[in-house]
Amino acid sequence: MAGLKDDAQWIVMMGFVVSFSLFFLAMVLNQSTVVGQTTAESVLDFPKNDIRDVRSVIIDAAILNSTGKISPGQTAVILNDTRAIEMSRKEAVISYQITPPNLPADSHTYVDIHYNNGVTAYNETWVSS
Amino acid sequence: MVNDRGQLYTIEGIAAGMIMLFTTYLVLGATSVYTPGDSHISDMQLEQTGTDALQMMNTPVNGTAESLLQQIVESNNGPLFNTIFLDYVNNKTGSRADNLHYTASVTYYDILNKTTVTLPPFAFNRNLSGVEHPVRVTELVIANKQFPGGSGYTPRAVLVEVLLWRD
Repeated sequence: MAGLKDDAQWIVMMGFVVSFSLFFLAMVLNQSTVVGQTTAESVLDFPKNDIRDVRSVIIDAAILNSTGKISPGQTAVILNDTRAIEMSRKEAVISYQITPPNLPADSHTYVDIHYNNGVTAYNETWVSS
Repeated sequence: MVNDRGQLYTIEGIAAGMIMLFTTYLVLGATSVYTPGDSHISDMQLEQTGTDALQMMNTPVNGTAESLLQQIVESNNGPLFNTIFLDYVNNKTGSRADNLHYTASVTYYDILNKTTVTLPPFAFNRNLSGVEHPVRVTELVIANKQFPGGSGYTPRAVLVEVLLWRD
């Protein structure tokens, strides 16, 4: 290393410091777009509204049935509509089981709800108050 | 004549050059062109807005009344749907309304033929030309209405599907 002068080491070091900080800032900027993208993708993939919708209709049908507003046959029509529509328009498999109150020992209606669209599975047993 | 003076400057020059090249690469990668495939974030917000509007329309004022969406499906009232739905989704803070367009249709289950049938749109405020990038929002509704394919006059579960887009 003949002829090498050790003047101006500060300048060389500051050059390195500035370029490395730029480098890391660019890295952060690069990652920031990907973060929002993956979050939004996972929110879109999760069928929150589908599950709420199915759950609401099945429970509504069970309540209408148990309060005598519709007959068991009409309840079956609503539930079968829901199952067929979810299958063909939403690619989701749903199944359900409504257990009426077993009076006088048990006055509650039990509704089993199963939902599966291949990515997300949801199971619930709803109990009337 | 080659001598070994200034080696540190040479090394520094090469290092700085590589760092600059790599930084440029990262910056260019960050500001990529916005393509329809990259629109997940705005899609998610649009889907939430549309679903909220439909759920608000499908909420009855009390336990015995029919919801607005239920009445609209039963009477096939496209103009009422148009007014209420656009009012909900285009509402924004401030004086300028949002600019969302939609087309809405009803799907029912044909018991006799064992198929689901999607009826032609009962309400829309813009024709779907094919260049839009719409999101689909849906709501299941229990409606007292007779549909083709048997079962007669009995409550049916039907799916209200809305394609929603912004331009």
